[in-house]
Amino acid sequence: MRGVIGLFRELDATCDAIAALKKRKIGEFTVYSPTPRHEIEHAIDKGPSAVRMFTLIGGLSGVTFGYWIAIWISDYWPLVVGGKAIASWIPYTVFGFEVMVLFGGLATVAGLFAMARFPRITHTVGYDNRFSYGDFGVWIEPSPDKMLEAEQLLRDAGAVEVRVER
Amino acid sequence: MATVTKPVEDVELLRRPNIPSADVRLPAVKDYEQVDDEITATLHPTVQWFIGLGVAITFLIIGALAWTYQIYTGLGVAGYNPPVMWGVYIVTFVFWIGIGHAGTLISAILYLFRAGFRTTIYRCAEAMTVFAVMTAGLFPILHLGRPWKFFWLIPYPNWRYIWPQMKSPLIWDVFAVLTYLTISATFLYIGLVPDLAILRDREKNPIRKRIFAQLALGWRNTDREWRHFVRAYLFLAAFSTPLVLSVHSVVSFDFAMSDVPGWHTTVFPPYFVAGAIYSGIGMVLTIMIPLRKWFNIKHYVTINDLDAAAKLALFTSLVVGVSYANEWFVAWYSGSPAEKQFFANRLWGQWWWASSLLYTCNICLPLSLFSQWCRRNTTWLFILSIFINIGMWFERFVIVVPSLSHEYEPWQWAGYRPTWVDYAILCGSFGWFSMWFLLFVKQFPVIALTEIKEIVKPRLKRRHATGVDVTAHPLPFMPDTPGEFD
Repeated sequence: MRGVIGLFRELDATCDAIAALKKRKIGEFTVYSPTPRHEIEHAIDKGPSAVRMFTLIGGLSGVTFGYWIAIWISDYWPLVVGGKAIASWIPYTVFGFEVMVLFGGLATVAGLFAMARFPRITHTVGYDNRFSYGDFGVWIEPSPDKMLEAEQLLRDAGAVEVRVER
Repeated sequence: MATVTKPVEDVELLRRPNIPSADVRLPAVKDYEQVDDEITATLHPTVQWFIGLGVAITFLIIGALAWTYQIYTGLGVAGYNPPVMWGVYIVTFVFWIGIGHAGTLISAILYLFRAGFRTTIYRCAEAMTVFAVMTAGLFPILHLGRPWKFFWLIPYPNWRYIWPQMKSPLIWDVFAVLTYLTISATFLYIGLVPDLAILRDREKNPIRKRIFAQLALGWRNTDREWRHFVRAYLFLAAFSTPLVLSVHSVVSFDFAMSDVPGWHTTVFPPYFVAGAIYSGIGMVLTIMIPLRKWFNIKHYVTINDLDAAAKLALFTSLVVGVSYANEWFVAWYSGSPAEKQFFANRLWGQWWWASSLLYTCNICLPLSLFSQWCRRNTTWLFILSIFINIGMWFERFVIVVPSLSHEYEPWQWAGYRPTWVDYAILCGSFGWFSMWFLLFVKQFPVIALTEIKEIVKPRLKRRHATGVDVTAHPLPFMPDTPGEFD
C-alpha cells in the first residue's frame, strides 16, 4: 500500500494533523505514539475497545468449565464421605473462580491480539523506529490523486519530516 | 425573588493536573528520549552483576545437591519426625507465595486505584512475583517422596482412572497457584511488549535484535494497538486483583480446613493475605533500594515512592498485628483447653524464641515507620525490610511447626529440628530466585519505559491551559478533592 508518513516532534501538532485528517477525509490513517495519550485517543475518537467482549465470554466460559470439571470428576470417581454430598458446589466455587480468572485473562490477551492485529510477522511500511523513542507519527493511505494534499496537510500541521512510502 | 446561580468559573478545576501524572513527579526527567537512554543503559552487565549471579548459582547448586541427596536417601533426611511432618519446605513454600503477592498487588490493585508510586516500581515487583511463585511451586514437589509423580495432583484423563479429590484444599492450591503463575506471567509479559519494541528498535546486536523482535510480536505503537492494549491491561489488572486475594486465602485453607489447634480459625484467609502483602512489600524494598543505587535510577524510584511503599508496609504490619491479637483472643475466648495450651506453648513454651523473633520483626520494628524520617531513610528502610523478611519467614514457621508439635494428645507433643538438607534447600531457593531475577534485570528494563513516558510531559508546539488537554477537551480524570495533588 502506498502512503504518506509524517513525523512529529510535538503532541499537539499530531493532534492538529488528526483533526485536519478527519475534517478533510483524505484517507485511512494510523497514528503512532511512544506512549498511550488521552489527547490522541480523544482526537481519533474511535469509541470503546471490543476487548471487553472477549473478557466477558472468557470469564463466563471459565466459571462454567471450572464448576463442570469439579462436578464431573466427583460424579465419575465418587469419593464418598458419610453424610456429605458427592458433588458440592461450595468448595467447587474455588475452581469456578480460579478457572474464570484463568480463561478470562487468557481470553483478554486473545482479544488484544485479535483487535490490535498482532502478532505481526513482518514490519509493514509506514513505521519508523523513532516512534518508539520520542516522536509521534501519522501514516495516511490516500487515493493517488490526494497524495500531494496529504503531504501538504502533514506539513501544515507541523510535521518535521514527510515522506512517501510503499 | 429568583435566585441567580453564578456560573461556575472553575479556576480550581482548570488548575488540576491529570491524575496519572499528578501524584508522581519526576522533575529530573525532561523528555521521552532521556527515559529510553537512561533506563536501557542499565541493561549492560557489570562485574558486580556477574559476581551476584555467580553467588546465586552457587546457592542454587548447593540446594540442587541437597535435593539429589534427599531423593537418593529418602525424605527422612529432611528432619521430619512424627507428628511434625510439615517443616521448612512448607514454611518456605508459604513464604515465597507471600513474596509473590506484592508484585500483583502493586501492579494490579495500585493500577486500579491510580496510585502513582506504582509506576516506577511495578516492573520489578511483577518480575519478583513470577520468580517467587516459580520458587514456591518447587516446594510441594520437593516435599514429595517421589517428586516425579507430582502431576498426579492435576486432573487429566489417565490410565489409572483415578481423579483427585476436588474437595481437598491441596487440590484447590494447585489450581490457585498455577492460575496465579499463569496470569502473573501473562500480566508481566503483556506489560513488557511495548518496552520490548523499544529494545528492538534500539538494539545494535543483530542476534539480540532478532530475539527482541520476536518477543515484541511486531508491536508498532499504533493508535489501534494502544487503544486495545490499555483496555486489555485494565481487564488483566481487574482479574488479577481478586486473584491476589484468592490465592493466599486458598493457601491458608491448607491449614484452616484442618482441626489442628492454631490452624482451625476463620481469621486465616485475611490474615494470610495481609501477611503476604506485607512480606511482598518487604521484599520489594529489599530489592529496589540497592537496585536504584546500583542502576543509578534514584531520580525515577524517588524517595517519595519508597515513602509510599513504607506506608503500605506499616499499614499491613498493623493489620497483621491485629490478626495476631485476634488469634490470642479467640484462643482464650474459645474455652478450648487444646487451643489455650497450644498458644501458651507457642508464646511461653518451647517456641518462645520463634514467637519473640516474629513479633519483634513484624510488629515492633515496623512501628518506626510512623516516623517520616525512618520512612525516608533508605538505610533504615533496607535494614527494616530484611527484618520483615526474616519475621515473615518465622511467622510461617510459627504457624506450621508449633501447631504440629502440640496437638491434642500428649504423644503428639514433640520437637522439631531442621537438618542441613533443609537449610541447604532453603539457601537453594534463594539462589534460584536471585538467579532468575538477576538474569531478568539485565535483559529487560527494570522500569516500564512507556509508563514512565506517560508521566513525562510531552513536547508541545503551543502553550495550553493547564487542566485542558491539547485537543481542548477537559481532562477526563479529576481528583475528588480540589487541589488534592497540587
